[in-house]
Amino acid sequence: MPFVAIAYLIFLAAPVLLLFVGSFGDVWSGTLLPSGFTWRWYQEVAGDPSFRRAFITSLKIVATTCILNILIGLPLAYAIHAGARGGVRLAARIVTLMPIAVPELVLAFGFILVFSSDALPWLGSFWLLAAGHLVLTLPYTVTALVADMDQLGLAEYEHAAATLGASFPARIWDVTLPQLHTSLLSCMLTVAALSIGEFQLSNLVSGFLSRTYPVVLLQAFYGATGFACAATLVLLGLAMIASLTSGLTARVTGRRKVGAGA
Amino acid sequence: MTLRYDQVSYSYPGTSTGVFDIALEIGRGELLAIIGASGSGKSTILKLLAGFLKPDTGPILIGGKDVGASLPEARRLGVVFQNYALFPHMRLWENIAYPLKVRGIAKQERRARAIEMLGRVGMGKRAEDYPAELSGGQQQRVALARALVFEPQGLLLDEPLSALDAGLRLEMRDEILRVQRQAGIATLLVTHDQEEALSIADKVVMMRDGRIVQIGTPRELYETPADASVAAFVGQSNLWSGSVSRDGIVTTPIGPLACDTQGRSIGTKVTVFVRPERVEPITGPVDASNPCCFAGSMSADRYLGPVRRIDMAVAGGAIRLETHLRGPITGVTIPHDAIRLLPATS
Repeated sequence: MPFVAIAYLIFLAAPVLLLFVGSFGDVWSGTLLPSGFTWRWYQEVAGDPSFRRAFITSLKIVATTCILNILIGLPLAYAIHAGARGGVRLAARIVTLMPIAVPELVLAFGFILVFSSDALPWLGSFWLLAAGHLVLTLPYTVTALVADMDQLGLAEYEHAAATLGASFPARIWDVTLPQLHTSLLSCMLTVAALSIGEFQLSNLVSGFLSRTYPVVLLQAFYGATGFACAATLVLLGLAMIASLTSGLTARVTGRRKVGAGA
Repeated sequence: MTLRYDQVSYSYPGTSTGVFDIALEIGRGELLAIIGASGSGKSTILKLLAGFLKPDTGPILIGGKDVGASLPEARRLGVVFQNYALFPHMRLWENIAYPLKVRGIAKQERRARAIEMLGRVGMGKRAEDYPAELSGGQQQRVALARALVFEPQGLLLDEPLSALDAGLRLEMRDEILRVQRQAGIATLLVTHDQEEALSIADKVVMMRDGRIVQIGTPRELYETPADASVAAFVGQSNLWSGSVSRDGIVTTPIGPLACDTQGRSIGTKVTVFVRPERVEPITGPVDASNPCCFAGSMSADRYLGPVRRIDMAVAGGAIRLETHLRGPITGVTIPHDAIRLLPATS
């Protein structure tokens, strides 16, 4: 068993390691490993206007997607948690899970059909791309938040706050949101990680000036290998920062819960 | 302030369960306990008063004012929840100060009042702690302090002791009573623990299938239960179905029993009810000619410390008794004044 596990880990890590090595290699053609050391490829990626624009666009899309997830996902999750029982809850769950079940390509073609019409000519706009990312990430937010809300037993805290004289807005602000903030944070980091790496939908829906980093990255592979490696590692770094932070938040939250239980 | 239910009914949407024709009054400083099996509607009564449910018919009055349509936050009732519902992200003093905060009281004053209130429940030194650092009993005290700090018009306790272990439960029972008496506030206690209800309540309400079966003092419920279900729920009891065979004699499966039949006509079906501690043990030879004496053998002998609870197998059935005698028992006597006749169970 350990052998299988180690072999699998090597299989997983090897491409990433090769990319890493390649991104610093001066010359790489026909050999297994590159030769020489250089920072040149990273400088070239940093200096390339289309990569720079894509990087900025990706950050903007991530931020917008996160904000929209909070603005829409939080009330939606709360409504499902507080109001729905039985059938309604199931229906809400199916609706929120739909984008995960439907292949992204199908979703993207749907967007192209609808938003290239004369009535809704928004294909290629920043906001349509953000809306696409929202549709893809919202299910994760809603599912995680509803589960956390149920697990926290928010209903009883809210009942208690009500009997103590707190109005609905006061209850939400003083009792509900503070208890959800770690949960929200970890949702946002998951959303950020998903949004940074998203390719299929972005590739089809984004306009020439609103392409995200992964979409532009594809172009890199038509050029120098070192450049492609460096550009890929930039994306990898971004995604890893998001998922590491997300993991850390989960651990800190978990530790606090364990501490609270002791 | 008095709390009053005036023929209140409520049924859960789409079902026939709920509570029906509830008429109750809790006076100032009075502690009223509602007991009953799970599903009997006792929690529903509390939820109606707290405002989590709206009655279908009948007013609910707090200090003479109908609050049936008002929201929980407008009712000014202190509620202690089964799991206390202390806010985990707030310090103890912040928890207790919260009802003062939402009433717009300045931070300095509400902190002072919260700390004073914590002192009253013996938790004065823990103001800066978080709820998770407390034991169950301590959380209970804080929940009680929080429910009383804003001088509510009534106190509602929803199974307040069920999450505690047995020893602590007795201690907290006295503590709740002490704080309640000190506050002089009308209090509604919902519990499935009849012993808890009997020991601290001024009045006890027994519920079954959403209806009040009996209201009375703990002593009335224990000694003169309205029917067999109350007798069986409150304390231990012997219950036999029987019928009046002549004036002063009831025929039962264990034999004829002499008792006051209170003018019931011959043939009336009744339930015969005797508390085990009223059954007298016989240690010597049994005089079988006496209609109230039964010879038998012990089929179960439970040692409970102060008393033994014994089931005597006699011809035609079993008799349960409680005694502090330690030796073997050969029979029992059922004194005629220990016997009460209840309506026959259908």
